[in-house]
Amino acid sequence: MHFVTGGAFNGKRAWVNKTYCVKGPEVWLSAYHDIPLPEQLKDNDQDVIILEGIELWLKELTMNHEASRCRDIWNQCLHYWLSWESGKEDRQLIVIGTDITKGIVPMERENRLWRDVTGWAYQDIAAQSEKVDVIWYGLNQTIKKRGAY
Amino acid sequence: MAQASLVFITGGVRSGKSSFAERKAIEIAKETGKQLIYLATGVPSDSEMIERIQKHQLDRRSGEYSWKTMEQSIRIGELAPQLHNQDIILLDCVTTLLNNELFSSECKWDGLFLDAVKEKIISGIMSINNRAGTLIVVSNELLFEPVSESNLVLMYSRILGQIHQYLVNEADQAFLVEAGIPIVMKGMSR
Repeated sequence: MHFVTGGAFNGKRAWVNKTYCVKGPEVWLSAYHDIPLPEQLKDNDQDVIILEGIELWLKELTMNHEASRCRDIWNQCLHYWLSWESGKEDRQLIVIGTDITKGIVPMERENRLWRDVTGWAYQDIAAQSEKVDVIWYGLNQTIKKRGAY
Repeated sequence: MAQASLVFITGGVRSGKSSFAERKAIEIAKETGKQLIYLATGVPSDSEMIERIQKHQLDRRSGEYSWKTMEQSIRIGELAPQLHNQDIILLDCVTTLLNNELFSSECKWDGLFLDAVKEKIISGIMSINNRAGTLIVVSNELLFEPVSESNLVLMYSRILGQIHQYLVNEADQAFLVEAGIPIVMKGMSR
């Protein structure tokens, strides 16, 4: 699993497209296109799946559950996603999440909860990822890389 | 040309990005002996802002290296013909310029207008860069909190992000300033 993060409109999607030479749109599951949180990834012919806009799925979770439950559900998803990825050699999961955690403390309770859960969820996904990149206006910085050297 | 042609610097509010940009400009002036030009984009809106601008002007005048100030709040590219090819220009900052362009016009904020503003800012900056020895561009990090559901803020964020991506791609050097410390994001540290 490769976690890609960075601020809004920093070129994360373009970087993933370029890095993985992504061809068709079928491998993208994007929260920005109203796709619901895919708890399980179905076995299909695709070797590469890209999940985009996870911050919106996390927001959805916070609207229905308390913080610790959100994090449990999130970790359950990570578990299923990783088992999809390890189900076949050459499978690659790329997860893109916009960093929404560096602004002023939000006024509204629900937005504070969203921001908190997003921060924790990013720590969880980074901990379980093989590779983590931060994208800054199109430039990437690899902040974690496991295994292959 | 030995010196960097385009330098891009961002940071949060009060991160020290402007001071770093000034130090960087002075460093280049020391090496090259060329004219320092401060390109002021701010339109003072109240007395506190006027004071702040005056303080900045005083700081720049009292230093060892004297700055020439040029003021241009919109259509920045119009300054290009007045520049000389060795000048060291400091443009502070892109977000102010963007605000000036957006709020000086009566146009409706639609995709066409916003794209035109984006093109105007990018081509203006690049035409200054083509005339100058070194152009140092300062901007703000504004894209790390939830992008508001308000469509206006969303559109604003999008063009600011696109302008930053363009400038970082063109830049010889790019820096992110955190708590006064410049982090090299692109190019060699000087």
